[in-house]
Amino acid sequence: MYGGGNTFESAKFEGLENEDPQKLAEFEARIERGEKIEPSDWMPKLYRKQLIRMIEQHAHSEIIGALPEGTWITRAPGFKRKLALMAKVQDEVGHAQLLYSAAETLGKPREAMIDDLITGKSKYSNIFNYPAFTWADSCFISWLVDAGAIVNQLANARGSYGPYCRALDRICAEESFHLKYGHHCVIHMATGSEKQREMMQAAINRWWGPMMHFFGPPDKVSVHTEVLMKWKVKMASNDDCRNQFLDMYVPKIWELGLTIPDPNLKKNEDTGRWEYTEPDWEEFKRVINGDGPCNKERLAVRRTAEERGAWVRKALLAPKTEYVAPLA
Amino acid sequence: MESLDPRVSRLNIDENASLSPKAPLDQFGTFEVFVQLKEGKQYKHEGAVHAPNRDMAFIFAKEQFSRRLMCSGLFVVDTRNVFVTEYTEDTVNVYEKVADNADAQGEAQEFEFFHLMKRGKQHEHIGSIEAQSAEQALVMAKSEFINSDKPIYNVWVVKTNDILFSSEEDKVIWNTLPEKKFRDAIAYKAADKVKAFKIRQHK
Ligand SMILES: [Fe+2]
Ligand SMILES: [Fe+2]
Ligand SMILES: [Fe+2]
Repeated sequence: MYGGGNTFESAKFEGLENEDPQKLAEFEARIERGEKIEPSDWMPKLYRKQLIRMIEQHAHSEIIGALPEGTWITRAPGFKRKLALMAKVQDEVGHAQLLYSAAETLGKPREAMIDDLITGKSKYSNIFNYPAFTWADSCFISWLVDAGAIVNQLANARGSYGPYCRALDRICAEESFHLKYGHHCVIHMATGSEKQREMMQAAINRWWGPMMHFFGPPDKVSVHTEVLMKWKVKMASNDDCRNQFLDMYVPKIWELGLTIPDPNLKKNEDTGRWEYTEPDWEEFKRVINGDGPCNKERLAVRRTAEERGAWVRKALLAPKTEYVAPLA
Repeated sequence: MESLDPRVSRLNIDENASLSPKAPLDQFGTFEVFVQLKEGKQYKHEGAVHAPNRDMAFIFAKEQFSRRLMCSGLFVVDTRNVFVTEYTEDTVNVYEKVADNADAQGEAQEFEFFHLMKRGKQHEHIGSIEAQSAEQALVMAKSEFINSDKPIYNVWVVKTNDILFSSEEDKVIWNTLPEKKFRDAIAYKAADKVKAFKIRQHK
């Protein structure tokens, strides 16, 4: 995953003046005290709407994110790597289940979310619209895309909505294997033969742009984050997350003798912040709006899975049960 | 569709087919899942799964909630069969809100109790009581819990018969968990390799 409420457009910020001021004050005081909001509590419409959007898009990202990595399961080098990659991809799909459940407690049925994914109405993390050409791309995703996801997820786990936080705690615990596995794969490539090093370097060159996009547009152009920060829906700014990622992982990339395709990338020791070339935000916009190398394939695969699996679900459908939202 | 993924190419997908919404399907029912991490520990609410029936819910729950961590037992129950009290906060014990008596008729049955002791945390299994209804079970539990040291904020009451419990024989499904070390971060140590690489680079 890949949540963060950053690559994501946010809900329209209106109607807040129609909320009961007394209830709103109590709600905000609860968050201020560091308490979680639970499904049975009163909450502003905007809070509900924004959280549904964010958690749902996070869930979609887990599902779609399993596709580029899944590409390499059958051709992962050796039994151990196949076993590990399969387990990781299974985890990612499991994360989606946990997140869909959390979003459902806010009132959006799971089927409606899956519909919105398939029709392209709902977004998912943009980075998965790029292809995994070689095994090294899969290594990059496992290590660094997951590392970026963990930065976001750890931040969000301190947020205010109980069911989302509990799902994230579980997810973060599972992610530690992904991260170590991914790092292990990259180390193996980077310290291997000349050919392996070349492959790894080429993958970094391909993925650096999307990786910088991953945390969303720079703070100076992201709008509406103030109230979301106050409500602990958004826990860290896009630039702060990006900076934290660079701080933790650039040294680890460099120590393997690999380079990063940005001549301006360096840490400003005075400010403690990383300096870098802004990635191409026009490309980001274009891709997130549908015109990326893999958007069509990702949705088509998801839709086909839905269509061709429908008969199984129909066969299992028993009138004795009934869909309701989960309790917590 | 020519994909980098051979599994996708084999599907022969028309990626230009219009993105119409899928045909609606009545959704599967919802089941709450409780997990026991270790023998002797309390069962805790872990989350929900959607399934066509309780048996399938058990299978999904096993995959979803006991694939990675330790596990020694699993409960699943249809969400509609969970009797939920109101929620209280601060120092208010929810048992203060329970009436002193409840209408009851019919045969006594067993009911399982789950308490929420901390906001933001999960419900934990406390024990069971024999009563004629969930309401009556709450009345009966009141005297025991109303003076608890820490306030109880919410109670779930479930008829024991409505729960599907893992059985003694089921426990073999978790026997292989310790063998799946490839799912643990600890199986991926590589510091030595990095060190050796750095030394080689230096030469
Ligand atoms: Fe994940
Ligand atoms: Fe991932
Ligand atoms: Fe992951």
